[in-house]
Amino acid sequence: MADTRFPQATGTMGQPYRRYEALEKVNGSATYASDVKLAKTAHAYLLTSRIGRGVIRSLDLVEARAIPGVIEILTHQTVGESIRQTQALYTGGYVADSVRPLGSAEIAYWGQPIAMVLAESYEIAREAARKIGVSYDVSEPASSFDSAGVDMTALEPMNLGVGDFKAAYANAAVKIDARYSTPVQHHNAMELFATQCVWDGNRLTVYEPGQYLNNIKYGLAEQLGIDPELIRVVNPYVGGAFGAKGFLTQRTALVAIAARRIGRPVKLVATREQGFFLSAYRAETRHHVQLAADSTGRLIASSHEGWEVTSRADVLALGGNAITLRLYGCPNIEGRVNVAKTDRSTPGFMRGPGEVPYAFAFECALDELAYALKMDPVELRRVNDTKVEPIAGLPYTSRSLMQCFDAAGAAFGWAGKTAAPGSMRDGDWLLGWGCAAAFYPTQAGNSAARVRLSSDGRVHVSSAGHELGQGMYTMMAQVASEQLGVPIEHVTVSLGDTDLPPTIVAGGSAGTASLAPAIMSACDAIRRRLQTGGSPAADVMTAMRASGLGNIEEFAETRAHGLPPESVQGMYRGRVAMSGGVHLPDRVQLAFGAQFVEVRIHARTRELRVSRAVGAFAAGRIINPRTAHGQLVGGMIWGISSALHEQTEIDERNASYINANLADYLLPVNADIADVQAIMVPEEDNLVNAAGVKGVGEVGTVGMAAAIANAVYHATGKRLRDLPLRIEHVLEEV
Amino acid sequence: MQPFHYSRPVSLAETIVSGTQKHSRNAEATATFLAGGTTLIDLMKLDVMRPSHVVDLNSSAREFSAIRFDGSTLRLGAFAKMATVADHPDVISHFPVIAQSLSLAASAQLRNMATLGGNLLQRTRCAYFRDPSWAACNKRSPGSGCAAIGGVNRQHAVLGTSKHCIATYHGDFAQALMALDAAIMLIGPDGARSMPFASLHLQPGNTPHLETSLRPGEIITEILVPDGPWTRRSRYVKVRDRQSYEFAVASVAVALALEGSMVTDVRIALGGLATTPWRAVDAEDLLRGRRLNEASATEAARTAFAGAVAQAHNAFKISVGQSAIVRALLETAAMEAHRG
Amino acid sequence: MTDTRDICTSPSTPRRRFLIGSALTGAAPLIARSEPVAAAEPADTSDLRKPTSVDIHVNGRPFHLELDTRLTLLDALREEIGLTGAKKGCDHGQCGACTVLIDGRRELSCLTLAVSAQGRDVVTIEGLDGGGGDLHPMKQAFIDHDAFQCGYCTPGQILSAVSCVREGHAGSPEEIREYMSGNICRCAAYPNIVAAISQASEQMGE
Ligand SMILES: Cc1cc2nc3c(=O)[nH]c(=O)nc-3n(C[C@H](O)[C@H](O)[C@H](O)COP(=O)(O)OP(=O)(O)OC[C@H]3O[C@@H](n4cnc5c(N)ncnc54)[C@H](O)[C@@H]3O)c2cc1C
Ligand code: SF4
Ligand code: FES
Ligand code: FES
Repeated sequence: MADTRFPQATGTMGQPYRRYEALEKVNGSATYASDVKLAKTAHAYLLTSRIGRGVIRSLDLVEARAIPGVIEILTHQTVGESIRQTQALYTGGYVADSVRPLGSAEIAYWGQPIAMVLAESYEIAREAARKIGVSYDVSEPASSFDSAGVDMTALEPMNLGVGDFKAAYANAAVKIDARYSTPVQHHNAMELFATQCVWDGNRLTVYEPGQYLNNIKYGLAEQLGIDPELIRVVNPYVGGAFGAKGFLTQRTALVAIAARRIGRPVKLVATREQGFFLSAYRAETRHHVQLAADSTGRLIASSHEGWEVTSRADVLALGGNAITLRLYGCPNIEGRVNVAKTDRSTPGFMRGPGEVPYAFAFECALDELAYALKMDPVELRRVNDTKVEPIAGLPYTSRSLMQCFDAAGAAFGWAGKTAAPGSMRDGDWLLGWGCAAAFYPTQAGNSAARVRLSSDGRVHVSSAGHELGQGMYTMMAQVASEQLGVPIEHVTVSLGDTDLPPTIVAGGSAGTASLAPAIMSACDAIRRRLQTGGSPAADVMTAMRASGLGNIEEFAETRAHGLPPESVQGMYRGRVAMSGGVHLPDRVQLAFGAQFVEVRIHARTRELRVSRAVGAFAAGRIINPRTAHGQLVGGMIWGISSALHEQTEIDERNASYINANLADYLLPVNADIADVQAIMVPEEDNLVNAAGVKGVGEVGTVGMAAAIANAVYHATGKRLRDLPLRIEHVLEEV
Repeated sequence: MQPFHYSRPVSLAETIVSGTQKHSRNAEATATFLAGGTTLIDLMKLDVMRPSHVVDLNSSAREFSAIRFDGSTLRLGAFAKMATVADHPDVISHFPVIAQSLSLAASAQLRNMATLGGNLLQRTRCAYFRDPSWAACNKRSPGSGCAAIGGVNRQHAVLGTSKHCIATYHGDFAQALMALDAAIMLIGPDGARSMPFASLHLQPGNTPHLETSLRPGEIITEILVPDGPWTRRSRYVKVRDRQSYEFAVASVAVALALEGSMVTDVRIALGGLATTPWRAVDAEDLLRGRRLNEASATEAARTAFAGAVAQAHNAFKISVGQSAIVRALLETAAMEAHRG
Repeated sequence: MTDTRDICTSPSTPRRRFLIGSALTGAAPLIARSEPVAAAEPADTSDLRKPTSVDIHVNGRPFHLELDTRLTLLDALREEIGLTGAKKGCDHGQCGACTVLIDGRRELSCLTLAVSAQGRDVVTIEGLDGGGGDLHPMKQAFIDHDAFQCGYCTPGQILSAVSCVREGHAGSPEEIREYMSGNICRCAAYPNIVAAISQASEQMGE
């Protein structure tokens, strides 16, 4: 590494260390929120709405209350105003959707909590919840884009453009005009949405899996109208999150209130089905992409318009075309985003939120253009590679897109491709090869960390970060180890507790990019404290021994490039502030990658499988190649899944989800995943942040669905533009 | 889940024998047998099945879990676990379609728990049936209507449906038994009897809540499969959206007897497509005495779906089903060729 | 044979009569009938809620428990015995997170009633190592190959993997993939899980 900020002594950052918490995880001793055992716990069970829209006319609790062991039942009649209205995350607040938990008789969506039963056991609570009689005044819900009563709005502030798209498109020689769609999808982390609350006097402790503990703390304080300093949120292990656990859901305030009212700890473990409504999801999208090129393949005009579903309560629009339209050089660009307000819960962020659906559309259209031009799709991207983003002409901090295409293409054997659709076959299986670009904005937020060095050489590093499986513990230990030059075995880590220094939401692939600089800064402070002759100590341990001090503890906070000074205050209030990607005034920061896949389609029965996938990714500095590799491979498999398996099915009659379980909502199983290879392309980017880290959590997912759809075209000659790709879509017409 | 009485009698046979002497029907409540529990506990948690008595057969059923093949009949105890039967060498070599139908079903854990009898009596996965908050389900509450018709019905059946119910029978093993003309042995309050497996399941008609011809209190004890010239040349093709741990989108059990390429006998059963285990008799008739090739297989496949009725989302099943029949027939024929 | 695990102690149904009634006459299978849901329930259900006593061996230790008959083995392990290694991912047999070994075979504790585990031997992730202090080779292999991320599915994966090897279904990567398909990993650590099992399968000498 040329960067002199990094001491060369140990080289810990960049080593494939085993996970810090590996032993706890294989021994089953890692305590997830629902594993915490509290004395005299009462068990909660949610009853959720079975209409899509309307008003609760009456609730009959008599039978439920009569069941021995039932302690209390919360309804809108008993909760009502006790939970205050707060703003949704997307408008600067904390909550996943701004419908108040048990706030009124109003039903905004199917699956909205309408009562919570507290009982001596889970069995009793569940039995009682189902004995509650509910009658509704039902209104017809708008379930999706095409429903009557849907409210469609063009979001003009999200318009993008440069040049004169219409004129350029009209006059171009080679054009593509295509429409695509992606379905509703749910994160479905393996861990269920659990919450436990216990009060000690006026102090509340919450055990809940979260990607942003301080959001829970401050949001809950606002909902309950209490001092945030009375609330502590603890969560050392999260059983997967993927965007579903980055904000307050309806459940937390209810559990907190329940625990206060009955004077006992309360435990809620929502069912898998309830989880489909309790948290956010990836909403369905539609796309219209128009591309035009000259005969050499250079893009002359590109337009990408998106339609996204949101709720009536909150407007969320992801607008992934802000990136797709900046991927390649092009003089004439137009982008628009529209939202459809429906009677559903508010959607949210799911791994590669805007990137995954928009990349599917755009990277498929590019493949269509390549075929129209009779050009290799990799070459088409090479011809349009650019050093500056095309709309404002800003420079990329670094851009290794074509290096990724070359590395992955070579490993895949892309040169052996025969161009004609339907030209490759292996016995009964049709083979198809496809590729697409991957990308993800490099973002960061403000962060704080505390590092303590003891004279015996032990180091403790702490921050209220989150271990979701991305390797946060290990990363924190590695950074401190390298910065202070102590062996990694001597470093201990605390995270997952709001009593620790705050950091940002573990989302947007920004966790490491935000927190590593704060740890580095705290370590720097220690080295400065141990300075000799005006320069920071080079050999920290020798200086520490010489100093005669027992401990040195330093706290540091860092502000991310592009965030205003006031935003640091927000960090201490659990606010989400992140900058980067394509939203900086001076530059564009993206991680890039390239996805190559081979699909096999049974010539008769049309099962569609991905037999091989190779991805190459350039994401700046990789602090731990082992955990990064897991993230990238996992991301690629998510991409396969989003192309072939996942779809939440809506029954339009009441805007309900019909397959809200793991047998019918298909996730890939082990047998679906044959050969998935992730290559890390070396990349140095000293601009993005002090650590040079771009983040690897999401980029692996982006572009995979397009690569697969492109491969299906190569296998069959059929363009499939609507996800997921299923047997019925590949079938010959009967 | 509703509270229930739980009991675990130790000897099934003795209990049954004594019970058959005097049999009163004035039970004050429904009782339900528990075998592997993978259907029953699942549905009890959903409040779809709400027995007030659960009679655990696991202690008493051991005597009905043996697997025996005497060269002419395969006898499978109804309480044998799916995994045990799937891995049994005699079953694998003499009745491959049975082994395959079992090993391609569910997951290793579920196959370790689930019994053959329970597997045959598994209930539909119709989403509306599985969620009692949908009022309309004729199978759950007779006369209430059918939410699946006009709802999301990609999974639903195209054969054997009625205007009252279109729920698919999802089991795999049953298709192997259909194809091989199996019989089942029963013991009940009125004594022991046997019946062809094909008469166990009832088509929905206008009584979708009546799923089988079992009499109250009857227990399936054994499954008998006759050996035949077709049993070794048999195969199970299961088409699904993911590679494993999923019910069939369409499946086909085929057993073939060939002389050269001439079909002397053939049996075809279809899974994932019909409301009950389903034998494609017309397709078989069409093939018997003819050469098996792409053309005759395709013709047979068309015949099998002559009476099919599609819903809004499942019309593709007709064409996948046809392709699966052709594939299964040709693969089974090829399998014979390999054996020389 | 009069020995029975009859737990109905309702005064209106004497013990002996209930046995016959439940196993025989009353045993009208739901299969052949519609379910008259509410009407089918005895007017007084309070006796049904009385705890039932169960003896289970878990990780070699005997446990005597008084349980609601509705409790699953999974909840009994987690809530009553305090072993939280087995995880709840779906509660309906659809994910494998709750996999434990029962009498040496991998089964799903979420679809097993605790009362029907009477007298059976249960091994959870906490009891897999067998006391010698050494990490089980499968656990070690999972660490070596980074066969997990969030770790939530991991206890189920490891127990399932141990069984997969013991059953003789770990002969090739393809076979491992098929026979490990009952354990969903949303983090998608599948390739590393397969590598870990291949390694451990050699070390387990099975
Ligand atoms: C996630 C999941 C995936 C699955 N995938 C598949 C699949 O791909 N293919 C497939 O075929 N199946 C599949 N199944 C279904 C599974 O195979 C059945 O649940 C299982 O075979 C039922 O057997 P059991 O012994 O557990 O039955 P139980 O649940 O114990 O009993 C089922 C019913 O049959 C009755 N019963 C049981 N035994 C007898 C008997 N001997 N005599 C009379 N009545 C009896 C019971 O009273 C009950 O009503 C799946 C299940 C799950 C949960
Ligand atoms: S298809 Fe049958 S089981 Fe499904 S809702 Fe209709 S009646 Fe009920
Ligand atoms: S919790 Fe048992 S299989 Fe999912
Ligand atoms: S490690 Fe997270 S679900 Fe498998």
